Amino acid sequence: MKGFRALLVAELRVFSRDRMGMFFTLLFPLVYVLIFGFLMGDIGDVDQAHFGVFFETDAEEVLLRQTIDDTGSMHLLFFDSQANLLTAITDRRIDFGLQWDGVALQFYYDANRIQENFAFEQAARAITTEFNLRRQGVSRSLPVEEVSVGTIQSVGWYNLVLPGILAFTILSAGLFAVSGHLTSMKERNILDRLIVTPMRPMALLSAIVMIRMAIVFFSTLVTLAVGMVVFGLHYDVNWLRYVIFVILATLGTMGMGTVIALLVRRPSSASSLANVLAMVMMFFAGIYFPIEFMPSFLRAVSRGLPLTHMANAMRYVTGVVEMSEGEFWSITFAMLGIAIVLFPVLARYVVRPTRH
Amino acid sequence: MKDILHIARAHITTALRERITLFWFVVFPVFLLTILSLIFGKVGNEGEISFEISLINQEDSASSGFAFSDVIAGAFHEMSTTVDGALEPLFSLHTLDDATDSDQFLESELTALRRGRRAAVLLIPAGLNQAVVANLLQPDASTALADPVRLQLFMSDSNAASTYASQIIQQVLTEIDRRILVEMGRFDDNQAIASETHWIGGEGEETSYVDFVLPGIILMGFFVNGLFGVPGTILFNRDRKVLRRYWVTPLSVARYLVGFGLGHLTLCAVQFVLLYSLGVFVFGAAIRFASPASIGLLILAATTFMAFGFLIASLAKTANGGMATANILNMPMMFLSGLFFPTSGLPVFMMVIVYLNPVSYLLEGLRHSVGVQNSTLMPALTILLVPIGWILLSSLVTSRRLKWDVER
Repeated sequence: MKGFRALLVAELRVFSRDRMGMFFTLLFPLVYVLIFGFLMGDIGDVDQAHFGVFFETDAEEVLLRQTIDDTGSMHLLFFDSQANLLTAITDRRIDFGLQWDGVALQFYYDANRIQENFAFEQAARAITTEFNLRRQGVSRSLPVEEVSVGTIQSVGWYNLVLPGILAFTILSAGLFAVSGHLTSMKERNILDRLIVTPMRPMALLSAIVMIRMAIVFFSTLVTLAVGMVVFGLHYDVNWLRYVIFVILATLGTMGMGTVIALLVRRPSSASSLANVLAMVMMFFAGIYFPIEFMPSFLRAVSRGLPLTHMANAMRYVTGVVEMSEGEFWSITFAMLGIAIVLFPVLARYVVRPTRH
Repeated sequence: MKDILHIARAHITTALRERITLFWFVVFPVFLLTILSLIFGKVGNEGEISFEISLINQEDSASSGFAFSDVIAGAFHEMSTTVDGALEPLFSLHTLDDATDSDQFLESELTALRRGRRAAVLLIPAGLNQAVVANLLQPDASTALADPVRLQLFMSDSNAASTYASQIIQQVLTEIDRRILVEMGRFDDNQAIASETHWIGGEGEETSYVDFVLPGIILMGFFVNGLFGVPGTILFNRDRKVLRRYWVTPLSVARYLVGFGLGHLTLCAVQFVLLYSLGVFVFGAAIRFASPASIGLLILAATTFMAFGFLIASLAKTANGGMATANILNMPMMFLSGLFFPTSGLPVFMMVIVYLNPVSYLLEGLRHSVGVQNSTLMPALTILLVPIGWILLSSLVTSRRLKWDVER
């Protein structure tokens, strides 16, 4: 026990001296969250759009103005000529514009704002439909009530993205934590020296895992707190499930890192391979864009990735989405299963003296 | 001259032999272009996306004597059927079977929606047909709707797929509504005001996604190449004492740098050809980089990022430290440049990074030069001056700080 405690203290010291490791485990997720939070916050939010209007004629101007006011809460700007309206779009002072000539509603968009035009076109369609109905004094015959089934925690898209980023943090840290550290110890011949002591490989592995896991856990908490404080996100965390999931998911991803430790010799290669794997998974796991937007074959790939399920489970424990108990525990225990299967492999084939 | 060419060839060969360099240099930009084009380039195209939605029809058209509910249900069934056998239908429709209770089915589908397995649930409530008739009999729009029975569209506003699917469903319902009003003589299509769409820039139509994203991916490739490739090669060669062997030959540092730069620019050219060919031949990109402005900006970009790589190499003590610094700078510089998302709504402290970031200027300039950006947010002169400033600063720091040999 004394030996194990000494190993834990040594591992903690190693980590506290590893400034880069600290940056990537503790600060990097925060940088991610801050950048993406600010970048993605307003995407697709047409209520924040600046809408320019030029009335070429005063025929039905009042009705059209009223319709525009009633169909959205965009920032309205009025122009006195078509040229000024178009220049404002070109210079990106307004997001899109409307010219009313008494005959047709002429909507103008910047052809190059392809990420946002979909939302602007939706707003334009709503204005056109409502204006036409009002002109003929008719109301809709088919009233539709839109009901959001989400909880308060799920209002706003970034609420859903942040737990995905936490899952990604666990994955990337887990993949690299053990593999990187062990390859580094091997490279510097530290492992060879430890192996000749009475210490068992599993004890060394446990010490590495415990310290790294505590740091990953702390990192997810800090990231979550920053998201809540800086962006006002709401989460209803089930702490018991959160603790169990983060611990077992970290163990599972550390187990996956075993494969990396088996494949590479240098820590830089382990870091690069872990980086590549995490990055590829991130794109397919539906963290930043919905899986439904992918072609069907990529949707199938996505469903086969651990990160997809980890992100879903993380959303569940933070109260953003619902999930059946069975599914949550299946994901959680699958991660534990990966660790149980792969850690003995790691102890047997990686924590051993280097052949010279 | 021969020695310079040898150094250039050595740099290219080394870069192409390193599997991880090859990944960041070729595989990652190609992967990114492919995945972004596959996903965002086809959003909204029939057969490219599919949403799982549920339709619950609780209305009995036989007893009500009207068939509005059947028209709605029919439209969604039609949209969930593969017509030509090749395209995936827009909706994958889940409907009630005879054996299941309607309320139970609604409950289970709403649970599926909350769990992200459905993009939307549309409920046609009992009494809808009578409600539609009552609404049609209203004298004018100012009168409140006669009957509170409404179609209910359940969605989850935190789920982008659900938001997107519900917008499409709303469009379908609006169109059905218009047809009903026309059929019932309440709405005159001939009197309707048309809506016309005009695109500013982009040759009269919206720029295609691949045209929009391709200049950014090419710049990203150059950026990653400079950021990782330059310090990686220089520092690993120094730490492994490869450079020391050069210095015992008559080769000067200046000539080594010329050779290295030549090799680096050749790698960038190869990268450009690969990505551009993929964009044009696989994803149908139509933009051209043949103008002097585009070519000039591409060369400026490759040079700026190479200089930036030397700056990192100068500041790092070891190769691992250099790679770590590159890793730290990579993501913020890429994302805070507008490569993937617009940066206009960022807070001031982040805009400072955007304005200091050479990638922002080069991206604005390159997109403008190939016609996928109508105007540049940065003043025209800064598009040249800021990257040149970075080249000068990097050169100055490199000349003073970069150690070309390990300390003995």
